[in-house]
Amino acid sequence: MKSTLMVVLLSVAGWAIASSPLRAHHSGAMFDREKVVELKATVKELQWSNPHIWIQVITQENGAPKEWSLEGGSPNTLSRQGWRSTTFKPGDEVTVRFNPMKDGTAAGAFVGAKLADGKTIGRWD
Amino acid sequence: MTVRAAVCGAICVLTIALVSGQSAKPATLPDWSGAWTLDGPTVFDGSTVQPKNGRAGEPGVREFPPYNDEWEALYRKHVEMIKQGTLPDPVSFCGTPHGFPRLMNLPDVYEFAVTPEKVIILGENGPNILRIYTDGRKHPDAADLWPTYSGASVGHWEGDTLVFTTISLKGFSGKDVLVDRTGLILSDASRATTRMRKIDPMTLEAQMVIEDAKALKAPWRVTKRYRKQPAGTWAWDYACAENNRNPVSSTGKTLTLGPDGKPIDKVVD
Repeated sequence: MKSTLMVVLLSVAGWAIASSPLRAHHSGAMFDREKVVELKATVKELQWSNPHIWIQVITQENGAPKEWSLEGGSPNTLSRQGWRSTTFKPGDEVTVRFNPMKDGTAAGAFVGAKLADGKTIGRWD
Repeated sequence: MTVRAAVCGAICVLTIALVSGQSAKPATLPDWSGAWTLDGPTVFDGSTVQPKNGRAGEPGVREFPPYNDEWEALYRKHVEMIKQGTLPDPVSFCGTPHGFPRLMNLPDVYEFAVTPEKVIILGENGPNILRIYTDGRKHPDAADLWPTYSGASVGHWEGDTLVFTTISLKGFSGKDVLVDRTGLILSDASRATTRMRKIDPMTLEAQMVIEDAKALKAPWRVTKRYRKQPAGTWAWDYACAENNRNPVSSTGKTLTLGPDGKPIDKVVD
């Protein structure tokens, strides 16, 4: 099966750095803030918990499922920005953008997402 | 009561207030109700940060407190460790408070409980609590104190300005306490005097003067501001250990755990 992964390298580094809404309780050294990756995926699970929410999504890589872990801010702050614990539901088809891990592992810092109905959440411009 | 007695009484009250260095409490305490958020990113001293608008934790970002040579060298070492991703933030362990003055520099929201006897600063993130006693008490004697993350704070009101002094701080001793994620540190000799007031209906301002006989050559002045959030904003529970998928390795590297609880980093140490 054709890969659904698409990498977007943004030339304006400042955009990438400013794009992540994540105010982490830990070092963000593992993320490449100079890059934003975009991929189409299916939501497996939203972990709506402190200190960070995690969105688990599945892509298809050469016919095999691949799971990604995308880290967001705290549910406290995100709820005040309009997120809910049901914002991402298992089975939702989404396009997500994130700052990837520097070491290439399947994870990153969430930047934004477009839902199947066209609504966007997070940074999407 | 004669007029003379009344005048004498008023003078006595005024004299006591002046001698004690405290003005009378305001007739009504200021309204600091609602929820507030830190104005700007969590770089502690945004006025000196380089590069400008640099964010705490990003490689190469630093501030310029008036450190002496020894503590400047320590800070530079931390800045290099941040570049290597080997300086763990103590709060990443989810077991300790941020401590003062870092608790004036938190993400998420703040609430300020102003009462006649004390002011309590509630930081949703952490969570963190600072109690500032305004009932006239002094700091405990040195023999009755021990260094803690948030220290001991006593204060008084000067009109609508809360003035408080914080002492007995744990400080940096090789681990434990950072002032922010650039690797900024203070020693256990640090103390701060903070003047806090509302500068307009939507803005609270805290002007801190930090002294540290071990680490600083001169007082360090830092101003933080907080923006009022819409009426009805909620603060929520924050349990850092609930789902901490970023533990720290034995070498100080912050890891990322997969949904199965195992590190997904290609290099763990």
